[in-house]
Amino acid sequence: MPERSASADDRESRTDAAARWREEAVRNLQRMANFATVAADAATPVAGATAREEVYRKRQARLYRYASSRTRRIPLLFVPNLGLSRPYIFDLMPGASFIEYLTKEGYDFYLLDWGVYGPEDRDLTMGECVTKILPKVVHKVLETSGAERLSVLGYCMGATLAASYLGWEPGAPVAHFINMAGPIDFDRSGLFGLWLDRRFFNVDQVVDTFGELPAEMVKAGMKLLKPTMELSSRLNLWWNLWNKDYIDGFKALNQWANEYVPMPGEFFREWVKAYYQENRLVRGQLRYDGRVVRLNAIRCPVLVIGAKEDYIVPPECARALIDAVGSDDKEFLELRGGHISLIAGRSAPVHCWPRVEGWLAARSPNARRRRDDTDGGVR
Amino acid sequence: MAERSSAEALLELWKRQMEEGTKAWTQSLGQAQTADPSHVWRPFLDQGIAAWASLMAQAPANPDLMAQWKQFLDQWIAAWGEALERAMGTEAFAQALGRYLEQWLSVQAPVQRGAAQAAEATLTALGMPSRSEVMGISRRISDLDDRLEGIADQLQALALRLERVISAGDAPRRAPSGRTPQKKKRR
Repeated sequence: MPERSASADDRESRTDAAARWREEAVRNLQRMANFATVAADAATPVAGATAREEVYRKRQARLYRYASSRTRRIPLLFVPNLGLSRPYIFDLMPGASFIEYLTKEGYDFYLLDWGVYGPEDRDLTMGECVTKILPKVVHKVLETSGAERLSVLGYCMGATLAASYLGWEPGAPVAHFINMAGPIDFDRSGLFGLWLDRRFFNVDQVVDTFGELPAEMVKAGMKLLKPTMELSSRLNLWWNLWNKDYIDGFKALNQWANEYVPMPGEFFREWVKAYYQENRLVRGQLRYDGRVVRLNAIRCPVLVIGAKEDYIVPPECARALIDAVGSDDKEFLELRGGHISLIAGRSAPVHCWPRVEGWLAARSPNARRRRDDTDGGVR
Repeated sequence: MAERSSAEALLELWKRQMEEGTKAWTQSLGQAQTADPSHVWRPFLDQGIAAWASLMAQAPANPDLMAQWKQFLDQWIAAWGEALERAMGTEAFAQALGRYLEQWLSVQAPVQRGAAQAAEATLTALGMPSRSEVMGISRRISDLDDRLEGIADQLQALALRLERVISAGDAPRRAPSGRTPQKKKRR
């Protein structure tokens, strides 16, 4: 290979530098143009675009069934958190939706939207959710799908509620259970666990004053948990302001991240006392309607997913379910990212969703039906 | 190459400053003393500006500097996040937070009560249903909904049982081939 002269190298280096300057200049122009658009355009992206129908309602809760080819025999019930935030994050926008992803894979997808609770729902308890609403929802899923069993996927507090239900009702017709960033061992629940400790936090005073956990307090708690988050997201927005796709995603996620919802008073009292302060679930001391919630009575295949940088539910807090259940088939996955990036954002469709789908598909080997057999329902 | 090394040197300098600054802040927060921003940041800021000016004078600006600057800011924010997390993860912070919340709630409680009473009185004076009355009606509707659902479930279960009984009663009457057996002729 002939030796290159120093002047040729120098020329190439200058050309590279010029190209990079040009690229940076173009990006800066795009940043400026898009900044004006972002600042002027108050329109929010359309969330929850996947077609669905309401199949059941109880209090503010709604059970939705999503349109799909339904090539999987076992329907999937998704249980998110109650209060705190809205569930449209799971169907954020076309091309970036967990629900869209799974429905395209042929899953008969059901979402339990707990709804937004008002003053009239202050007496709603976790016990009611575990012993009344969830059993009814499970029954409705089986009734409308025609299936004999279902898979349950709980996210965040929804996973805790679902685990409590499964431990309370071991005979529930659940084929698989996935805990996605759901707290189980509250002795390992990080900063929230410390702040909500009974020595420092008087939950009765909050509930007796407001009758609920107000949305403003939810927001304050979340912002305090990661004070640099706002700065970080603004910096990333500025950096990616030249990229139209990034802006669309940012707007959708930002809209969700700033929409907090209250939690019913009695529900919050129980959540803090029984779960955070007394850690009854994992200790086998939780009791509903006179029946003990036993996590070791859960025998179905279990998948637990934790996120390495999850400061809301540290991975070890979710992982505790693996040691607590009586299942032979159980697996823990620790993925990169945080609490939200498991379910939404750019990395979720790459790192998390295919793992969930792959795990479910591996446990339903004969689940696919013939394509010509799809009549809208699974019989 | 000179451009790159000068940019890297600048980045290293800022990283060092970031670490030292973060350490100083963590110490201040840990000692629960009122932090003096100018006292903590002034030496690093002066040092940084001087270094930046000198590096810019030595070599022309490099477009990669933008990416490195972004990287630096990310690391700086992450380091701050960690420092704050450490400070907020102490019992002293949790105690202070709890005390602050208690004080805030003790102010809020009479305000909330007063506002509720005033709203109730105004609505009563206007002859309109009060908030508690509306909530009461809502609860009754909810209870009624529960009962109706219970009745519907029971009816459904009853219908199912009836269906089973009917089909069980029909079974012996059917021939093994599935044909309905012929009726016996009366004598």
